[in-house]
Amino acid sequence: MIAQSPDHGGSGGRSALPAGRPDRLRGQQGSLERLPDGLSGQRDFPGGPDFLVTVPTRGDGRDPLRRDRGDWQPGTRRPLPSLVTDLRPGAFGPYDHLAHIGRAAETATVGGALVPFDPGGEESLVVAAGLLRHSRHLRVVAGFHPGIATPVYAAKFSASLQRFTGNRLGWQLEVDLDPAVARSQGDFLQGADRYARAEEFLTVAKGVWHEESYTYEGRFYQVLAGGFQSPNSGLPFPRVHLTGTSPEALALSARHADVHLFTADEDVAAGVAELEGRAAQEGRRVAYGLRFPVLARDDDDEAWEEARRLWVLAGGEADGLPDPDPRTGLWRGFGRITDSIPLGRAGSYATASPGLVGSYETVAAGIRAYLDQGVTTFVLEARPAIEETYRLGERLLPLFGKEIEHAH
Amino acid sequence: MPIDIYWRIATHGDQQSLRRRASSRGEWAPVVPGSLTPGVRDGRRDGYSYVDHMADVARASESSGFVGGLLPSFPFTDDPWATSAALARETTTYRFMIAYQPGFLHPVQAARMSASLQRATGGRVVYNIISGGGGPGQLWWGDRVDHDDRYARTSEFLDVLKGVWNGGPFDYEGRFYRVEGAGLPEPLARQPFPEIYFSGSSKAAIEAAGRHADYYLSWLEPFPELAAKFAQVREHSTAIGRAPKFAVRIDVLARETEEAAWDEIRRGWAHVDPAALRGADGDSVGWLRSQSFVSWPVRDFRELEVSPNVWGGFHLLRGGPAFGLVGSYQQVAERLDELIGIGVDAFILAGVPHLEEAYRVGEEVLPLLRGHDIRQNSPLSVSKGSI
Repeated sequence: MIAQSPDHGGSGGRSALPAGRPDRLRGQQGSLERLPDGLSGQRDFPGGPDFLVTVPTRGDGRDPLRRDRGDWQPGTRRPLPSLVTDLRPGAFGPYDHLAHIGRAAETATVGGALVPFDPGGEESLVVAAGLLRHSRHLRVVAGFHPGIATPVYAAKFSASLQRFTGNRLGWQLEVDLDPAVARSQGDFLQGADRYARAEEFLTVAKGVWHEESYTYEGRFYQVLAGGFQSPNSGLPFPRVHLTGTSPEALALSARHADVHLFTADEDVAAGVAELEGRAAQEGRRVAYGLRFPVLARDDDDEAWEEARRLWVLAGGEADGLPDPDPRTGLWRGFGRITDSIPLGRAGSYATASPGLVGSYETVAAGIRAYLDQGVTTFVLEARPAIEETYRLGERLLPLFGKEIEHAH
Repeated sequence: MPIDIYWRIATHGDQQSLRRRASSRGEWAPVVPGSLTPGVRDGRRDGYSYVDHMADVARASESSGFVGGLLPSFPFTDDPWATSAALARETTTYRFMIAYQPGFLHPVQAARMSASLQRATGGRVVYNIISGGGGPGQLWWGDRVDHDDRYARTSEFLDVLKGVWNGGPFDYEGRFYRVEGAGLPEPLARQPFPEIYFSGSSKAAIEAAGRHADYYLSWLEPFPELAAKFAQVREHSTAIGRAPKFAVRIDVLARETEEAAWDEIRRGWAHVDPAALRGADGDSVGWLRSQSFVSWPVRDFRELEVSPNVWGGFHLLRGGPAFGLVGSYQQVAERLDELIGIGVDAFILAGVPHLEEAYRVGEEVLPLLRGHDIRQNSPLSVSKGSI
């Protein structure tokens, strides 16, 4: 969403970065160069916040009890009365709605969209390919786990998408799956072995991507005389997003993540400090991100009124509405209102993380608190996806205009 | 029974004709003025990519009468799944025939991608399952499973894919795959299962095809050899109570007159590397078969015409399969009718350049097909769908 302008060199500009930000972020400022039209997808972020929205891949609806958009619960969509002409039947499918979400994010100047791995939802790479094809600027991060394919194949698939879309694809590799979910996907690996495999997966994927004659012999994968040729060589590798706070997860991120995504119920400050050190030892830089739900309205009262309405709709007691954390402002009630329907045998994959409720200014202040801790990527969740994405683009994102402008 | 006729979408660039083996569509050659997708505009790449050209080929062949397009998969091509997912919403009736090797994707993931694609396209996914030629090609992909084992793996792969397709919970424990409590989530379950076109000329392939193929797919070969190959597959299938249909991939060079068609070949032939005329190496059984129908080395392009209009030199002008049809519109239609007569139920046709030739073949050749009458009178005809 960051406006790219060749007229703002950045190098001489006053930094808007909070004093506490790690120095490595300053180094990224002004590193952007003007790319030819249509090829501007892959970029180093110039230091301002980067916003993504979360694509609901198991239906979407006006409120938490409804997933009637995207043909997820056939028959739940309220029909028009017969006296009203309805030209829709047969003309629309589930992917019309998903495509609309991507268009809305693009129109609302949001920088990207996360299509999460969800064994109970649509397949993320197929969704991501469609969103990328039907947008010009949107960066799309597809979530998947290393068991879905060989690393060579995952890289090959991605090289095509990078070429098709001006290098706008990102990966979110899910390593720490629930064991029952993993087994349902054919993956019986457990514990630290999963991180060992993820390490090999990323090593091999990057190896065939960057080297013309690549051979690898590991515990999990082998390649002989592999490596992509032109035009599938020389492309930017998809931006790698990783998660988790275990030592294995942070070690993997230090070596392979471009962005490490936290959730709001994790100790972000400690995670950033730990990963900062580990990444430095590897001679790398990692950007930090946060995935959380938001409910923002004109003023705090209106936001809380809506939170209460959704809470009750989702089956919560009217007088049992949880209070936000007095220190951080994070509200735990999202666990109910974003994720109140048990869907699919795999359980739910919404984050159910605490999030921010309040006026646009209140939510922006909550986000700034994370910016001060070095977090630059914000993956927001809000439903219904299209209306809320427009709202965020028009009302929340402009509050960061100062950071964005000064970042150039 | 109607005949399904597919076109091919070239997934690694295209050349402007068979006269010169030089790619100008896609980035497989340097991007210079005259290149398309990406093109050059004001001295810079114009932001279009090869998928925009593939979309044009899909729309051209859709509107000129083909039911869909085959998307081949090799180390140097674009990926057919990625291409289909990108193009899903840009055609209306067009089927995407995705070529893939089962070993590279996990079958649960393949089921998830397929079901999502079925939802995205309204059920327009078709599989071309290839189990791979072996040798260095497989190691490039990081696949070390042996040739015959790959067909065993393909069988397991399809067992798991079909097992999760209609929901679950599905458990499986095989040599290559193991799942527990698997199954597609409700809205993805019970999509129409993609038709399976199964390729492979080896004994292991033919046995696996008997079990899994809706269509047994072969490159074009001289008609008697092709009929014999089909008979072998039919025999294997009948033994296990199945009756696959038959499909053939054919490169086509058709013109108003036979002379004009051969003249195109002659112009392309002038640029063929003489070293290639001694015969070409390859490690798949299908390729060795196709080379055995010709006495190499050859000196003149007409020596590769093994029977009227059946020409074995297409690989020299473009790469890919060797055999195709060269002739007038009428002759090519007659040969296709003859193939229908020996039991062919579906074709994957292709011509270079794929965009323009889709219109030509769709408008000039397909309307001449009479197939059904010939099949009834043919001594080689078989009873269809009664087994």
